[in-house]
Order: sequence, then C-alpha cells, then structure tokens
Amino acid sequence: MDEFIFLFSFKKLYLVELLILINSPVVRRQKAWISFILPVLIVLGTGGASIGQNSILQNTHIRGFIEVDASYQDKKVSFGFGEQDLFITSQLTDRFSFLGEAVFKYDSTSATEFGVSIERAIVKYNYYGNNNLLLGKQHTPINFWNDTYHHGRVFYPTIERPLLFPADFIPLHTTGIAAEGHDLGNLRFGYNLLIGNGLGSSDIANNDERVSVTAAVHIKPVENLKLGVSYYNDAISPGADVYDKIIPVKVHQQLFTGSISYFGRKFELLTEGTLALDKTDSTGTQHNWASYLYAGYRVTDKFVPYFRIDNLQYGSGEVYYTKNNTQSIILGMRYYVDPLLVLKLEYQHLNTDFQGKTYAVTFQVALGF
Amino acid sequence: MVMLCSISLMAQDNNLVVIGNQSGTPADIKMNELKAVFRGERQRWGDGTKVVIAMIKTTTPLGNEISEKIYSMNGDGVRGFWAGISFAGKFDPPNVFNTESEVETFVSQNPGAIAILDRTTTTPDVKTILVSGKKTF
Repeated sequence: MDEFIFLFSFKKLYLVELLILINSPVVRRQKAWISFILPVLIVLGTGGASIGQNSILQNTHIRGFIEVDASYQDKKVSFGFGEQDLFITSQLTDRFSFLGEAVFKYDSTSATEFGVSIERAIVKYNYYGNNNLLLGKQHTPINFWNDTYHHGRVFYPTIERPLLFPADFIPLHTTGIAAEGHDLGNLRFGYNLLIGNGLGSSDIANNDERVSVTAAVHIKPVENLKLGVSYYNDAISPGADVYDKIIPVKVHQQLFTGSISYFGRKFELLTEGTLALDKTDSTGTQHNWASYLYAGYRVTDKFVPYFRIDNLQYGSGEVYYTKNNTQSIILGMRYYVDPLLVLKLEYQHLNTDFQGKTYAVTFQVALGF
Repeated sequence: MVMLCSISLMAQDNNLVVIGNQSGTPADIKMNELKAVFRGERQRWGDGTKVVIAMIKTTTPLGNEISEKIYSMNGDGVRGFWAGISFAGKFDPPNVFNTESEVETFVSQNPGAIAILDRTTTTPDVKTILVSGKKTF
C-alpha cells in the first residue's frame, strides 16, 4: 500500500528518543550539521520500517518542508535556505491524536548558528463529529494564512508570508486549550475558541495572571470560498519580552481580523486585514492597521502569475509595535513541477519608514517531503 | 452511430460505484455529502465511526476520473489539495492503492472505510453505497 504523500510507520519510542536527542542541550551545542543529519536519519532510519496500516503501535507520519532561495537586492546576489520543518502526526487512539512540528533554522545568536524550535505540539481529542478539543502549543487561528499554511512554504501562494507576519502584528502561536469545529451545517460553519498564555509568555508558563483569548468563526458558503472573522484579546505586562522587544508599559490589545479566500480552478484571491487596538494609560487607544491582497490566475495547471499588495499603518503614539509604516507590491509567478515541488520568482518593491524605497528579485525552490 | 456514441458517453459518465465497509458507512449518500467526505470535511459517520478514505492512485485513468468528478481537479491537483490539508494537520490523507482489488481489501478490513471504484463489489464485508438512490454516478 502506498501513502498519499508518504508514510513511514514505525515504533513510537524510536521517534521519541530521536526527538529528545535533537532537542538535548548536548546536541544543540554541537555543530549545525547534527541538527540536519538527525532528521535525515529519522527519515532514512524509519524508511526501512514496515509501511502500512498494521503497525503494532500507532500509525505515525513524518513529513517536512524546506526551501532554497536566491535573491538580488542592494546590488548583491545571495543564496540561502530557510527553515527545515519536520511535521509529525500520530493517531493515538480512535479519538486522540498528536501533532508535532519542529523547525530547524538559521539563528545568528546561536553558537552553532542554527536553532531548533517547537512550533506546534498538540494533543487533539475528537469529542463529537467534526468537533475537537486541543491542548498544547498551536498556531493562533487568527487568520486564514496562519491557520492554513503554517510553515509550509511549498503551499504559500507567494515566496514569503505577508508583511504583517514578520512585523509581529499578530501572535503566531499560543500555548493553551482550544475548542474547534469545522464544516458544520449547510454553510459549512467553523469555529475556534482558544484560551492560552498571553504575549510575553514562554512555551512552558504564563508570564502574568492574564490569559489571551482568541475567538474565530468562518463559513464556506460556496465551493472554494471561505469567509472568516476573528477577535483576539490580551493584556501585555510591563517589562514583558515580546518578540525580543521589551514592552515598557502595560498594553491592552484587541485584534479584529477579517478574511476572504477563494482558490478556484482558475482564479485565486486571498485578502485579510487586522485592526489592532492597543490601549495604554499614557497614550490612550492607538489604531494600527495591517492588510494584504493576493490574487493569482492559473494560466495552466502548473503556471500561476500573481501579485500581492501589503500595507502596514501604525498609530502615531503606538508603543507596542515597532512603528515602521510599510507598503509593498509583489509581482510573481509560480510553477508546479509537482504539487510538492514549486518554483517561484518574484519582484518586490518595498517602501518603509526605516529604509525608504527598496526592491528585490527572489527565486525560490520550495518542497515538501 | 451518433446515438451509439451518445449512449457510450452516457455510460462512461455514470460508471462509478461507491463502496464502504459494512460497519459505519451509510446505505445511501447524497452527492454533495460524498464530495464533502472525500474532501476531508467529515471526520465521523452518523454512528460515530471514524471516516477512512481509500483511493486508487490519481495517476490511473480511474483515479483521474474520480479526481475530476469529486474534486473538479486533475490528479496532481488532488495530490496538492490533500497535501495542504494533511500538512496543516486538519485530516489524515487518503490511503492510496495501485489496484482496485487492493482498495476493496482495505475497505473490507477497516470499519468506516469508503472508496470509489468503476465496478460493483462482491468482496465480503463490503457494501455498495447508493448515491442519491442510484448504484452508479
């Protein structure tokens, strides 16, 4: 039997031992190559194991992504590669399952110049029909992009995520407990309610007495169309370290997000906007706005030209975000060698408060394995 | 001659049969429900049994026909569709086989399993599921 993407069925303990080894301080202190060799060893080592449904233990799947880039910017050609992502799912019982995602990526602050991060670690309980309870570190279901593509650049319609992501405009991950449902009723209604550690917390504990709350709903009224809205509420403590920035005062943050996505056989559209209201005692409520619009047209099954427009606007008295008003236009094309091997070429014109007008040409090979 | 061609085309348009394990799967299913099941939009059957999808490879003529009728995509499109769902952790991808007999065997051994073939089945523990009251679609 073949698996749709691929499937290695193997003994759970073997995987656990290797993952513990990867994340151990000993390995993290060693050369970077170890971080890359071990995942390869996992895949190769398990490749020889039995393939199929009849494992004596759970069926565990390992998949992954990586991308390689070449770019021209500031009269300089650069080559590089991005995150190597290992994605693991395991059906523990008929109702319980596990999802884990570990990323290996360049980190200039690391002694090895590579870091390992646990992006997701979720125990899911399917309690009724399409309704689930989730516990652990998860991608905050705040918008379509974050909830759909995660770290899989091979699925991104553009080379990189919209600019609201690197600007840390929305919380990407939340560790907590969630209830979710999908494809309910004729409108294929879906919901997420997530309560977790707030901004400034670590993966292992909340940093203050407040929790963050994310509530999201969506419908899919016709084929390939999804409409969604979400609300996020958190209070960030003074002195909290959020995305390597110390927040000097208490900030009460509310995020209101709207999403429209349509991925048809020919036409593709994805647009999302987030209004961030950041309130402090000294500056009052600051209004910040981040949005993007992506559109593509599938000329053939394999070839998609596209564009994306991004806009980031910050309130004049904003203290939580780094105030760097930004506009960007991207023109690009995507070519599918295979659904899991995609080539992208982009021209980006960027205008920011900090750097003024810049442009870049980037080529990417993104793959899933 | 034209009539014969038309009859032949009509037969080809309605040659697919839905099969399911005796346990969990319904006796009859609507077309939109069938599409929802094969798109990973339904995790469990009415009695609580987990939905398990079995498919023949999309690179085969039958796999390609199923891709067009159920997903309105070609075979590569369906692979991409499932890759996205699976990598997002939303749903396990279908179990894919090289031959129809392998599909039938898998369906017979797994409660809640459902598949689409281009012929009726005589395998024990496998039943034909009507699509809006019809044996083929």
